[in-house]
Amino acid sequence: MSEKVIQVGHRDIRIINQEFLEALEAGHSVVVTDTLSRHNLGVGLPRSGKIHFDGSVGYYCGGLNTGTDVRVENNAGWGTGEAMSGGIITVNGYSGMSTGAAMLGGLIHVKGDCGPRCGVAMKAGDIVVEGNLGYQAGFMAHRGRIIALGSAGPSCGDALWEAEVWVAGDIESLGVDAKIVEPEAEEVEGVDALLKQLGLEERFRDWRKIVSEQKLWYFESRDANSWLMI
Amino acid sequence: MADDLNSTYEYPFPMPSEEEVAYSDGAIKGRTPGSPSAYDKGGSTRWTPDAIAEVQALAQLGRYQVRGYNCFNQRMPTFDDLTFVPATMTRLPLEGYRESCDMTTVLGAGTGLVERPLELKIPIYIASMSFGALSASAKAAIGYGASKAGTMTCTGEGGMLEDEREASQKLVYQLTPARYGVDLEHIRKADGLELVVGQGAKPGTGGLLLGMKVVERVSKMRSLPAGVDQRSTVRHPDFLGADDMAVKIEELRIATNYKVPILVKMGATRPRFDVAIAAKAGADIVVLDGAEGGTGASPELLLNHTGIPCLSAIRPARQALEDCGMSDKVSLVVSGGIRTGVDVAKCLALGADAVMIGTAAMIALGCNSPRYEKDYHALGTSPGACHHCHTGMCPVGIATQNKELEKRVNIAAGAERVYRFLTAIAMEVTMLAKACGKSSVHNLEVEDLRALSFEASAFTGVKMAGLDRAFTW
Repeated sequence: MSEKVIQVGHRDIRIINQEFLEALEAGHSVVVTDTLSRHNLGVGLPRSGKIHFDGSVGYYCGGLNTGTDVRVENNAGWGTGEAMSGGIITVNGYSGMSTGAAMLGGLIHVKGDCGPRCGVAMKAGDIVVEGNLGYQAGFMAHRGRIIALGSAGPSCGDALWEAEVWVAGDIESLGVDAKIVEPEAEEVEGVDALLKQLGLEERFRDWRKIVSEQKLWYFESRDANSWLMI
Repeated sequence: MADDLNSTYEYPFPMPSEEEVAYSDGAIKGRTPGSPSAYDKGGSTRWTPDAIAEVQALAQLGRYQVRGYNCFNQRMPTFDDLTFVPATMTRLPLEGYRESCDMTTVLGAGTGLVERPLELKIPIYIASMSFGALSASAKAAIGYGASKAGTMTCTGEGGMLEDEREASQKLVYQLTPARYGVDLEHIRKADGLELVVGQGAKPGTGGLLLGMKVVERVSKMRSLPAGVDQRSTVRHPDFLGADDMAVKIEELRIATNYKVPILVKMGATRPRFDVAIAAKAGADIVVLDGAEGGTGASPELLLNHTGIPCLSAIRPARQALEDCGMSDKVSLVVSGGIRTGVDVAKCLALGADAVMIGTAAMIALGCNSPRYEKDYHALGTSPGACHHCHTGMCPVGIATQNKELEKRVNIAAGAERVYRFLTAIAMEVTMLAKACGKSSVHNLEVEDLRALSFEASAFTGVKMAGLDRAFTW
């Protein structure tokens, strides 16, 4: 696979994204230089290919990704990998608010910390954070896993649906309708296998799995007849 | 003493008995002394039978009430408070039955950024109603009817239904805060992308779909457990304010390669400011949904007591676009309680570029039609008064996910009814426009209207009927 270098600088973001697509579709791997933390770099990437941002990126890097392997050398802004349905996004530094928001599949691997509301409204896929999670990690997440090797901030797992937040470190506080459960051995094996795949050290971790208490789910009766009085 | 009302006067005839005094007016014996017959209906203006029933219901349920349909607040001003003043001596009317009047409506072309603006044959399209709130058959019928009329539909928040995409020649795809099923494939199948900040029926709150309607197919599309109430998030997951929205809009443009327009939909609350902010954030089209807007389910208090009427929202919205120099760049669509072509024409005259209809399209399809009366009665209601969309037991199969009830929607006949309704109301709009001397419905203007009430004049700035000025404080 040949490598194509694309410089960002102050050029038109639409043209830059077009160049990414053309290069990836032509079978090149792409190295992006002079990123200047620009927003919307690498939006709507194709089902395969590799792109390496040699610097920091702004909002929505890898947003709506369908399968490209994305690597960010430094830090990423808000909404990294939002609504992505496939591929892997690796952030070597920190990732801002709403990492993996509403994602439908694929994997996001953050080597530093993540900002607030990591995995908010995610529908599937995995987010692995080697550092710490900000507040309200997993807010209203439907399905999928958020796995943190560090600690979790306030209101962790707030208003979860069927998603899971795994935390190896401390949990500052649980969010509304969240509870800690003991993970099954099989589930731990699954998480360990994923971490091994990412090249993370194999060792014992005192996992706490946070899931929904499901009290908010049944705020009202599901019996249709009870609504007929209105 | 001045207030001593005891009289020393004596009649020149015997004093009548107490019984004669009480019942000599023909009243039924046993009536409480001094009780007007109106007391039987409840005389308090504060504690009306409805208010009493509401307190009793809250006391029984221990929670707020939820229902479908739209605002029941009787004090909401309506478009009936405005009338048209057609051409007479100062203007020349067009021949209503002969001359043509252009209805072509183009939305989203003004910014010059979009490759495929929305070109509609009429200034009316179908509002967003989700699959989940509506059955798949209802969505398909509405889609086919709109396609035949040369206009478009909108997905609502439940994701993009295959049936609807196939039926609708033009389909706007909603990105609500919950982002149910939103991915690149669906985004690229859409003819427009609508970022939802709020809706008129319940501004400041996310969507609501009760568990009875969350069947397997709905559950799968939304990635949520079946049978459980879905209370959607109200804040977008990946942006907070206007500056962030501008970045989000740019992201959507890149994802679609600038092919389709970006709409921003909001409930009408502070239109003068909200519309300006959305326009400055980069929207091609701003959709303003008045408080009369319908919904499949909402806490009743929000339906009745939040937002401002469509009538009062249009002019400040248009003014907002003018204030920031974007009146020719950003299209304005309004909705909320629009019933007929008369309402549509009034919206256009007040400053809208196009109008969305939701409930009216459902009614055209068969909502509240006098069929299956036993089923209406089983719901404790009757045709013409039903508002039980939230229960999922819609007698005509429109607002349901019950397969047996859904069979009651005849897709072909329903589509034709929706088409005919759209055609009819478009015809009504042209009739009024021609009477006002306009060769395009988009030439209707505020001067073509007069207000029939102080309130309507004060809300809209339209001149009072019989005067040459608007009501001012």
